[in-house]
Amino acid sequence: MSEPTKMPEPVQQVVEPKLSPAELKKRAKAEKQARRAAQKDPQEGPSSAPALATNGVHGEQKIQKQSGPQEQKPKGGQPKGQAQQKQGKPGGQEGKHERTNSIQQSLPIRGQPAPTAPPKELPKKDRKQVELFSHLYTQPRRHDIAGASNNVHPSIVALGFQMSSYEICGSSARCVAMLVAFKEVIQAYTTPREVSLARDLTSRYLSPQIDFLKSCRPISESMGNAIRWLKKLIAEIDPSTPEQEAKDYLCDEVDRFIRERITVTDQAIAALASGLVKDGSVVLTYAKSSIVEKTILQALANGTRFRVIVVDSRPLFEGKNLATSLMHAGLEVEYLPFSGIAHAVKEATLVLLGAHSMLSNGRLQSRVGTAGLAMQAHKADIPVIVCCESVKFSGKVALDSIVLNEVAPSEELLLPKATVSHPLAPDRKDDDDDDNRQVRSLHDWRDIPGLQILNLMYDITPAEYIRMVICEYGNVPPSSVPVVHRLANESM
Amino acid sequence: MPSATVGQTPSLSTYLKSLKHNDIETSIELFISLLKRRQIKNSRPCAIATISLLLRVVGEARTRDAQQLIERIRAVGRRLVAAQPREMAVGNIVRRVLENVREVAERDQDAADGGSEGSTSIPSTPIRGETMRRPAFPTKFSEFSPLHGAATIPQDMHARAPLATSGDSSPAFGGTMEAALQRPPLVSSNTSYAGQGPAASSLFSILQHPQGRSPYATPPTGTQSPALKASPFKGDEGQTSASEKLDIKAEVITSIQDLQKELEEVDDEISEFAQDHIHNNEVILTHTSSQTVQRFLMKAASKKRKFTVFHAEAYPNDHLETHATIVNGGGATAEDADERWKPLTSMGITVILIPDSAVFALMSRINKVILAPHTVLANGSLIAAAGASTIAQAAKTHRVPVVVLSGVFKLSPVYPFDTDELIEYGDPGKVVPFQDGEFMDKVDVVNPVYDFVDAELIDLYITNLGGHAPSYLYRIVADHYRVEDIDLSGKAEGGAVKAG
Repeated sequence: MSEPTKMPEPVQQVVEPKLSPAELKKRAKAEKQARRAAQKDPQEGPSSAPALATNGVHGEQKIQKQSGPQEQKPKGGQPKGQAQQKQGKPGGQEGKHERTNSIQQSLPIRGQPAPTAPPKELPKKDRKQVELFSHLYTQPRRHDIAGASNNVHPSIVALGFQMSSYEICGSSARCVAMLVAFKEVIQAYTTPREVSLARDLTSRYLSPQIDFLKSCRPISESMGNAIRWLKKLIAEIDPSTPEQEAKDYLCDEVDRFIRERITVTDQAIAALASGLVKDGSVVLTYAKSSIVEKTILQALANGTRFRVIVVDSRPLFEGKNLATSLMHAGLEVEYLPFSGIAHAVKEATLVLLGAHSMLSNGRLQSRVGTAGLAMQAHKADIPVIVCCESVKFSGKVALDSIVLNEVAPSEELLLPKATVSHPLAPDRKDDDDDDNRQVRSLHDWRDIPGLQILNLMYDITPAEYIRMVICEYGNVPPSSVPVVHRLANESM
Repeated sequence: MPSATVGQTPSLSTYLKSLKHNDIETSIELFISLLKRRQIKNSRPCAIATISLLLRVVGEARTRDAQQLIERIRAVGRRLVAAQPREMAVGNIVRRVLENVREVAERDQDAADGGSEGSTSIPSTPIRGETMRRPAFPTKFSEFSPLHGAATIPQDMHARAPLATSGDSSPAFGGTMEAALQRPPLVSSNTSYAGQGPAASSLFSILQHPQGRSPYATPPTGTQSPALKASPFKGDEGQTSASEKLDIKAEVITSIQDLQKELEEVDDEISEFAQDHIHNNEVILTHTSSQTVQRFLMKAASKKRKFTVFHAEAYPNDHLETHATIVNGGGATAEDADERWKPLTSMGITVILIPDSAVFALMSRINKVILAPHTVLANGSLIAAAGASTIAQAAKTHRVPVVVLSGVFKLSPVYPFDTDELIEYGDPGKVVPFQDGEFMDKVDVVNPVYDFVDAELIDLYITNLGGHAPSYLYRIVADHYRVEDIDLSGKAEGGAVKAG
C-alpha cells in the first residue's frame, strides 16, 4: 500500500534537492507509512539494518530520532505527527548535503527496525506537558539563582522567589513590589564611564533584572505596562542630568506611579464600586482580588448591610485569605469551593471580580475559574462587574484561554502526601509486583505514562458575561477597554 | 467506585456480608443506620444493598399473597427512603421490585381470569387498567417528592381529574382499533399521553365497573408489554390458587435476582455503546470518579480508539477517589479482584487531570463531555456531583455535546419542582479543615455535594437500554415503575389488588 506513494519520493529528492515544506510533509507521511509497513513485517527489519549502519553517523542519528516518535506512539495521533514532521526535516537537509546518499538513505527507512532500547528520558519528560499548552511550558520556574546573570540585584532575587512561591501574588501586588524593588535597583546603579544613564540603565542593568523576574514567573500585564512606562521614562532623561539627580527623579516618578496608578486608583475604584453594593445585597466574588477586598471593606465602612459569598478553588485557595480578612472586618461571609458555584449564584445579587488583565477585545483575563463563575452568574441574570485599574488594561486580544495563559507547576495540584497516601501506605509496602496491582498515589504521576496534570493560572471570560468594568476613568462597558488602554497606557 | 475503606469501617461489602447471618429486622435497621450515617452512599452501592435486602425480605416473607408481599415491600421501602430520601436509587429499586411483584401478580390474575371468565373480579380490572396506565406519570410526579416537601396536589384532585376525562373524553378516542376493543384501558392510556394521567385507580374502577362492561372485553391483547405476554402462566388456567401463590414468591425472587444481575451488568451494557460515540483523536472531558464512565472509556480504548481525557477532579468531595481512579484504575482497594480494573493510562490513553476551575478554559477544545449522574429525574434533568452544572453549562456555551451515562436504576420518577431540596450539603470540613477554628466558627462554609443539571443542557442519555434523548426518558421511567408505587408513603392505592 505504501509502495506507489513512496517510489517517486527518492527520485524527486535527487532531482530537486530543495524541498518545500509541503514536500517535506509528504515525505514525512511516506516515511510514516513505511514505518508502519515495517512494523507489520518485522522480518524485513534486520535485513535493512546493515544498510542503515553503512550510513554511519547520519544513520545512527536517525535511529535515535525515529525511536523518539515510536516510543511516543501510545500517546495519540497529534504528537506523533508532529514528531515525525520534525524528523522528516533533518532527512531533507541531509538530502541537500549528500545528494548521492539520498536514495540509500530513504531506503533503510522503509525497513526501519523497531528500536530495541529507546532513549527513555526525553520523551517521558515531554509527555508530562499537555500538548495543547506546549507553547506555555517555556522553562520551569526558577527557585534558585543558579545560572542567573551576576548583576541581578539582591532585592530582585528576593522578589523573584517571592513571586515564584506566590508569597507575592496578584497582578497589582506584583507590580507594586517590582517597582519598589526597582527603586532600590536604580539607587544601586552607577553609570559606567563614557555612557549616559539614559542609554545604559535600561539595556545593561534593568534588562537582566526583568529577565530574572520573568524566569521566576511570567510577568503580569500590569508589570509589563509599568516596565514599558519606566523604560520610556529613562529614555527621556536628559543625558546631561547628573547621575544622582536622575536616580532620585526616577525614584520619585516610580513613587508617583505607584500612588497615582495603583494606590489612589484603588481608592477611587473602591469608592465607585462600593456604591453598587446596596443594603441586603449578596456580593459574590471569586478567589482574591485586592481591589474587590477594598471595595467590600469600603462598602462596609459606608454602613451598608450586606453579605459576601467567596468562591474559592484549588490549588491556591486565595479566597480563603479574602474570607479571613472579611471575617475579621466583621462581615457575614459564606465560603464555598468551586464546585458550589451553582449554589452560590442562587443567592447572589452582584458579582464583583478582580482582573489579571483586561484585554482589548473586552475579555477579562483572571484567575482560572473566573469565566465559569461569570458564565453561571450571567445565566442567572446577576450583574458581573469587573474592578480593574487601567494599568492592567492590555493591548493584547485573545479569544480563548489557550494561547494567552500561564501554566503553573503541576505539583501544586498534588495534595499533601500525608493525607493521600496514609490509607494506601500499607498496600504499597506489601505488593511491589505489577500483578498484585500496586497501589500508587497521585504523587507518582511522573512515573505513570500517559498521565498528565494541568495547572492553568488564568482563563478568559467572554465580554458578553461582563456587564461593566470599573476603572479610575469611571464605569465603562468592556467594549471600551481599548479606548481606556490607549488613554492610560499609551499616552503616558 | 473505589471507596477508600479503611479497616473495618462499615461499608457496602461489610453490610452484604452481615446480611447473610443477621435476621431481617436487624438488617433493615443496619441498612437504615448506614444510610443515615452515609456509610453506604452513591447510587450503585445503595441500589445493590437495597436489592440484596429486598431479596431477603421477600425470601423470608411468610405470606404467599401478592398483596401482602407488596405491602411488606412498601413498608420496608418507606423506611429506607425515609432514612435517606436523597439516595433515590433506594426508592427506585424498591419500586422496581414492586413493579415485578405486581407483574407477577397480574399474570396470575390473568391466568385465573382466563380459566373462569365469569369470575372476573373487581380487583382484576383495575390492575389491568393500571398496566395500561403506566405511562401516566407526569402528574403523579407532583405528588411525590423525596422529602415530601414539594407542592402536593391534593389527593382528591387526582381522583377527580381522571373521572372527568374518562367520562367525557372516552368516546373521542374511539378512532383507534384498540379503543373499539377495550375502552377503559385505552381511556387511561390516552389520558396519560395527554399528560394528565389519573392515579386513583380503585375509585376509577369502582365507578367504571357498574356501567356493565363485559368481562370478555377485558383481557388486553396487543397492548401489554412483551414480558407479560410471555407469561408461563398463560396456560395454567386450571391451577389452584394456592400453588399459584407459591409460585408468586418464587417468581418474585427470580425477578429480583434478574434485577440484581442487571445491576451487576449495567456498566458492561452501557460500555457496549462506547464505540458508537467515541472516535479516534477525540478530546473528552469527564468529572468525578464514575465506574460507569471509566468502563465506557475503557471499552472505547480497547477498540483501538486513541483519545485524550481531561478529568476534572471534583474537589472537595470526590477528588481523592478521582485521583485514585486515574492512578490505579477502579477498586484498587477493593478485596474482590473482579471489582478492579486498570487505569485508562495503562491502555495508552492520555489522561489529563485538571482542577474543576479549568473546565471553562478548556471547553473550547473538548469534543465531548461525558457525565455520570447521581440520579436522573423523570424530565431528563439530573442530579450529579457538584460542579456538573458548571461543566454542562460551559459545554452548552461552547456547543459541546454532553453525554450522560446512567444505568436505568438511577432513573427516578421524581419530577424536579423544587431543585433546591434535591441538593445535599456535605461535610464543610472537607472544604476547610476544622483545625481552622476561628474560620469555621465565623465563616459560613458550605459544601454542596450535588448539582442540579437541567435537561436542556444535556444532549444524550446512554442507559443500559441504549441511547435516548432527554425528552424520551419519561417513557423509560413509565416502563419501569408503576404509578401506584411512585409515592411509597401512600398506602391506599396498593390495596386494590386485594379489594375483592
